[in-house]
Amino acid sequence: MKEKKTEFRIFTVPEWKKEERYLRERHKNGWEFSSVTFPGFYHFTRCEPKDVVYQLDFNQESETNRSEYIQIFSDCGWEYLQNFCGYSYFRKAASEMNGTEEEIFCDDASRLDMMKRVFMKRITPLLGIFFLMIIPQIMLQSRFNRPENHVLLGIFCIMFVVYLAFFIVFGIQYWKCFKDIHR
Amino acid sequence: MDSHIRRVYVPMTETGFYILLCLREEAHGYSIVKKTEHLTQGEIKISPGTLYGSLSKMEKDGLIRFVREEEKRKIYCITELGTQVLDLEMRRIERLYRSMEEAK
Repeated sequence: MKEKKTEFRIFTVPEWKKEERYLRERHKNGWEFSSVTFPGFYHFTRCEPKDVVYQLDFNQESETNRSEYIQIFSDCGWEYLQNFCGYSYFRKAASEMNGTEEEIFCDDASRLDMMKRVFMKRITPLLGIFFLMIIPQIMLQSRFNRPENHVLLGIFCIMFVVYLAFFIVFGIQYWKCFKDIHR
Repeated sequence: MDSHIRRVYVPMTETGFYILLCLREEAHGYSIVKKTEHLTQGEIKISPGTLYGSLSKMEKDGLIRFVREEEKRKIYCITELGTQVLDLEMRRIERLYRSMEEAK
């Protein structure tokens, strides 16, 4: 029987809850998460099926205080697994939680804080490119009539549509997260 | 105390309140969790993500300060500003409690 397997999955920036459920589900089915590598290869090792809660935190500020950060989690019984694209991966067996389902956040204020961190680090740069480059370029290129201007205009218009679609998808996913928190 | 501190910390979250309450004595993260659990008979269990986030925010805003490091654990203590915020919050909770009693 196979002892290791790799699955390819892409979770977009605001989909960390979905990713947590995915890892927990795999562990329940006897596949223990061992690592994730770029751009989205999830490596698993065969194990005894077990209910293990997986949690992701987004905290880049902690790069400088990494060891203290990990220590606080491990003191509370959360095993640190790795860092991937700004997300830190933790897990804790459900059997160690004496009855109540634990999470790494215990109030809505801190859950919202995490969403804000994700937004600031991941979405703000894209908004910057959108408003400071794509839109000005479309306005600039449409003023000239040479063929190369038409080509550039076409490229920036495509980028405009792609970025806009991205923002709409992100917006919907954020809204879902937000509703999740306030349910 | 400036308006930013007032807006963010008054009123504050339960976790924030217990962190400041515990840090009237020097303590590291996990001992805050344990002490809070003890004070509330196990009703409030602060989670590590919430704890770490609150500690770094409060340190940045000057409510608590870093004292020293012991075995990878940072030890913190409340500052003058932190004490002022905690006092405000205590008065607010006392008022709530009084109103509740009077309404009984």
